[in-house]
Amino acid sequence: MARDPKHDILFEPIKIGPKTMKNRFYQVPHCNGFGSEKPFSQAYFRALKAEGGFAGVATEYCSISPESDDTHRMSARIWDDGDIKNLSLMCDMLHERDALAACELWYGGPHAPNMESRCVARGPSQIPSDFEFLTYAIEADKDDIRYLQNLYVEAAKRARTAGFDIIYVYGSHSYLPQQFLTPFYNHRTDEYGGSFENRARFWRETIEMVKEAVGDDCAICVRMSTDMFLGEAGTQLKRDCLPFVELVDHLVDVWDINLSGIAEWGEDATPSRFYPQGRALPWQAAVKAISKKPVLGVGRWTNPDMMADAIREGKLDIIATCRPSTSDPFLPKKIDEGRLDDIRECIGCNVCISRWEIGGPPLICTQNATAGEEYRRGWHPERFTKASNSDNDVLVVGAGPAGMECAMILGKRGMRRVHLVEAQDDMGGTMRWIPQLPGLGEWARIVNYRKIQIDKLKNVEFIPSMKLSAKDVAEYGAEIVVVATGSYWATDGLNGASHAPIPGADASLAWQATPDQIMGEGKQLQGDNIVIFDNDGYFMGVSLAEKLAEEGKKVTLMTPMGHVASYMHFTLEAPNQHRRLHKLGVEIVPYHLPTRVEQGAVVAAHVYDEDGHEKSFAADGVVWVAQRRSNEALFRELKDSIGLEQLKAEGVDALYRIGDCEAPRLTADAVFSGHRLAREIDSPDPSIPLPFKRERRMVDDASVAMEKAEYAAMYAGATAS
Amino acid sequence: MRIVVCIKQVLVLGDEVEFQDDGLDVDPDYLDSALNEWDSFATEEALQLRERLGGEVVLVTCGARESEAALRRCLAMGADRAIRVEATGRDPFTVARALAEVVRAESPDLVFCGVQSSDAVQAATGTVLAELLGLPRAAVVTRVGYDEDARKVVVDRELEGGLLDRVEVDTPAVLTIQTGINEPRYANLRAIKQAEQVEVDVRSAADDGMPAYRVRRMFVPERGEGAEMIDGSPAEIAGRIAAIVKERLG
Amino acid sequence: MSVLVVAEHIRGQVRDVTRELITAGRELGPVTVAVIARDPAPLVDAVNVEGVAEIVTVQVATDEFENDAYQSAVEALITDRRPRVTLLGFTVNSMGYGPAAAAKLGLGFASDVHGVALEGDAVVATRSFYGSKVSAELDFPGAESVMLLLRPTTWVPAEGPGGASVSSFEVTASPSRARHLELVEPATSTDVDITQAGFLLSIGRGIGEKENVEMFRELAEKMGATLSVSRPLVDAGWMPASRQVGQSGKTVKPTVYLAFGISGAVQHLAGMKTSGTIIAVNTDPEAAIFNVAHYGARADLFDVAEELEKLF
Repeated sequence: MARDPKHDILFEPIKIGPKTMKNRFYQVPHCNGFGSEKPFSQAYFRALKAEGGFAGVATEYCSISPESDDTHRMSARIWDDGDIKNLSLMCDMLHERDALAACELWYGGPHAPNMESRCVARGPSQIPSDFEFLTYAIEADKDDIRYLQNLYVEAAKRARTAGFDIIYVYGSHSYLPQQFLTPFYNHRTDEYGGSFENRARFWRETIEMVKEAVGDDCAICVRMSTDMFLGEAGTQLKRDCLPFVELVDHLVDVWDINLSGIAEWGEDATPSRFYPQGRALPWQAAVKAISKKPVLGVGRWTNPDMMADAIREGKLDIIATCRPSTSDPFLPKKIDEGRLDDIRECIGCNVCISRWEIGGPPLICTQNATAGEEYRRGWHPERFTKASNSDNDVLVVGAGPAGMECAMILGKRGMRRVHLVEAQDDMGGTMRWIPQLPGLGEWARIVNYRKIQIDKLKNVEFIPSMKLSAKDVAEYGAEIVVVATGSYWATDGLNGASHAPIPGADASLAWQATPDQIMGEGKQLQGDNIVIFDNDGYFMGVSLAEKLAEEGKKVTLMTPMGHVASYMHFTLEAPNQHRRLHKLGVEIVPYHLPTRVEQGAVVAAHVYDEDGHEKSFAADGVVWVAQRRSNEALFRELKDSIGLEQLKAEGVDALYRIGDCEAPRLTADAVFSGHRLAREIDSPDPSIPLPFKRERRMVDDASVAMEKAEYAAMYAGATAS
Repeated sequence: MRIVVCIKQVLVLGDEVEFQDDGLDVDPDYLDSALNEWDSFATEEALQLRERLGGEVVLVTCGARESEAALRRCLAMGADRAIRVEATGRDPFTVARALAEVVRAESPDLVFCGVQSSDAVQAATGTVLAELLGLPRAAVVTRVGYDEDARKVVVDRELEGGLLDRVEVDTPAVLTIQTGINEPRYANLRAIKQAEQVEVDVRSAADDGMPAYRVRRMFVPERGEGAEMIDGSPAEIAGRIAAIVKERLG
Repeated sequence: MSVLVVAEHIRGQVRDVTRELITAGRELGPVTVAVIARDPAPLVDAVNVEGVAEIVTVQVATDEFENDAYQSAVEALITDRRPRVTLLGFTVNSMGYGPAAAAKLGLGFASDVHGVALEGDAVVATRSFYGSKVSAELDFPGAESVMLLLRPTTWVPAEGPGGASVSSFEVTASPSRARHLELVEPATSTDVDITQAGFLLSIGRGIGEKENVEMFRELAEKMGATLSVSRPLVDAGWMPASRQVGQSGKTVKPTVYLAFGISGAVQHLAGMKTSGTIIAVNTDPEAAIFNVAHYGARADLFDVAEELEKLF
């Protein structure tokens, strides 16, 4: 297949200072949980993007000093020679693959809680962080300012030594240089505060110093948030950013333009629920209009036509992606080869980001089960070894996310025949109706991508509208059986808070319903007042609240937790979701657990009320988003009633289960479980995941001896107190 | 009761195409093969009749060894026997002649063919076969009501626009079966494996007759060829569209 | 070089395809139109158009189409008149007898033909193969006479008053072995299954705002079409996935596919390009959908839609 000529512009090289990018695809700095202390995971992750065609790949935010320690969140670090060594692996691997390496030098100021280093940050003014509210910064005096600027210079030199081609003086999302620029953070009255020139001074000087130090060898990038959406107090496009572009354009080799502050950076890393792709384009175009240097920008870009248009229309020079590069590192190559069908498009769920927000875990991706597993498990999203037991037929029961993924990967691994059998008339399982919830339309790409891929695989056949009994499965003729029958929402109010059903809860009644019933079966609740009981903690409760409120119902959303949809804080969807619910008049009732339901009312008590006073909430209808349960019946019948012996006699050598029918989980994890089983289908016991590599320091005799000696030397001559 | 179902393994062209050196056909490297979509409906219809009335369903195809894959798919659905007539011609006359001897020898009560094949779309082979066999026929059938004792079958033929033409046909007869008449059953892996083991009866056909046509050149049409652009004011455009729509829907 | 056109009619009306055959035929030679019916006389005027030299009526016992009756009549006419080319529409009825007559009489034969030319004495027909991806030129060496089934709506129906001579032709018929009983209206289903619709009105990103969906939904209803959409509208949550046409949605093959504001991404085309007649309206002259459409209009969607609504 050939590249569509409309997309040729995306493959034109572009000069950035002393360097050249071979095409217009760039992976902008983003977190992956690996930092400098998991160097192989870091390098393999980034290198894969270069293999996939990205001409420039950046680290995540890279701390320049122990004063900028974001623990529990994982950043990269470039404090010392050890970090240089570790990050150089990434640079080497990127260079081997014809890509430029970028390092985003970061100093967090009061936003970095320094929970490992126990140092104290400096900032323009003494203010607590607007989200790490226990962290205060030292108000920097002139010496501090020189010290800070020197941190950038030294870090830039270390980055150059490591092999980085592009060095950032990063301010976006309200980190140090942008804190100086922004009145919200900068209350100074000296020459570093007040007027625009003064507020811009710190950043300008730092750029000058970094450029002086490394500018001949490296391209200098400035990442700026062009609107913090904080009104007069925040950075504003016309008042602050465009003048800043004019001020330092001659120093900068490439601009990285985005939006928002750090407290609500979902306005930049936009979830698909609230924004279509290319949200920042007007701001990026505004900068491009006045700058003489290349401009790059993110926008959750998945549509190659829109990418090409953005460049052709003079709004951007370089298409920068994070999330779409994670869901498909081979995005550029696939566009180049005209294989648009094969692009695994980002769905904008922000589950990847949620892992960083939680602090600690490596990233995962709903669409791409191999994201983060490049080194740990050696998984490559486009390469599959032929299974050593490929001379077998596989029956996968259930074509939800786990089943589809498993069948697809088994197909790619060359299993002789794979039958993906589904009781409904099409693929998708619950992912058929989840995208019908308000704003979640792009989540249908989970199904779309797999449908197309499975259709292409000659050894995988999809059979709809067939509900298999255990006997049918046993007699099906497959040597390997994988059960992927998913989960359902509990109908009796069983929930994780009380681990007990709720008296009166019964979704078989006309005035009660579960999400499956409402969305999958079209069950309609009558009356005006609907109470949704939500102990799920993610999107289901709030999405149904939004949907029912839009239909004109008066909705009360009750949860025993302190917050509703708490996980959506991690996916950056919470602020806008709450705005939506507020606008729709949804009443949120936290800290309440129903004691019983009866027709017309949900009776509940405050979870911290030791006297258990009950309050009655009017309810014509009740929706139970209490908890999910596995659809275990088929598996249990196969394993317990028929038994593995009897199955063997029928020719079934192996029985596995994946996804929600094993235990309900995030869609990303369901996809992962299907993927893992398929990758490991020829391991000695595929039901147990193979060990994965852990990057950790291992104790050996030499290092033990050395540490002991060092410690002893430290205290030699010390007096006991 | 015996029903003969004539099936075809069709050639499927992907997005890329190169032609043979002689320019008369597509380079086989660019062609995949598959069971003709209509034929799975025809096979299913035959199987449903067998379930009701007993008897056997016999598959016949005209083609080279590779086309046995299509036979095996239909065997896996539950057909009883499969016959392949070794022949290379692909036009309706040549194929119908190759099939006729074999089909005649089976003395079928009904002969089912698909309305058309997806690669050639001549929609002719079944009708020519009926002529060679001297049998009554009905084309584009969406419902089969077979009365074995009365030796008649009442069928619905789907006309343009969806209108149905109800026709009573004396049997034995040839029916060309339209998609959507039923829901073809899927074969499980056991049936597929069993079908792999079945021996296909191979016959040869002497073919000395005239083909229906000769391909003298095959080519990729110009981009946009066939797209007639309608010019004029919105009202004129709407008028032409309305006329086309009304005409096509009968 | 004479041409025989066999008229097709239903419920007392001559179908437009007949006059399309006349348009095609008159390029090749003087056209004789055969009207086969129980009562042919009322149908004669409809085929007496410019380019028709002769109209021959054949009286048969059946009031609607029957294979055997038409086959006997056409075979007799061809044997008698010896036309060089016999033209039928590539229609459901023609499929039931045309190929049989051609085989019986040893004619050259091809169906779904969308181009016919004469090269000296030779007839050359153009048709598609492999799902319309390639075209082929066919000839018929050794065939004195050729029968072609022409793809409907390829030629424009002939108009204008003609001055054809009218005569009758007798055919002795044997009893039909496949007898027409009645015409039946199909049952309408309440569930939306776009794969079963004969007429789809499909909308894409070009319609702009979610609010505009309603206008096209109404137009579809008025025109008797089922509304379908391309993927961006499902992604945006404007319409459910059950209405989506495309590789990851549903593959459809309606008789008519009328597309508004659909550019024709490969995945969408994969889901509809084998539709009977594709009509695309788009403001972008480069839209890929024009490569598979049979008819296209580069025009404002809303203007055209507004005008269309007045006509239904």
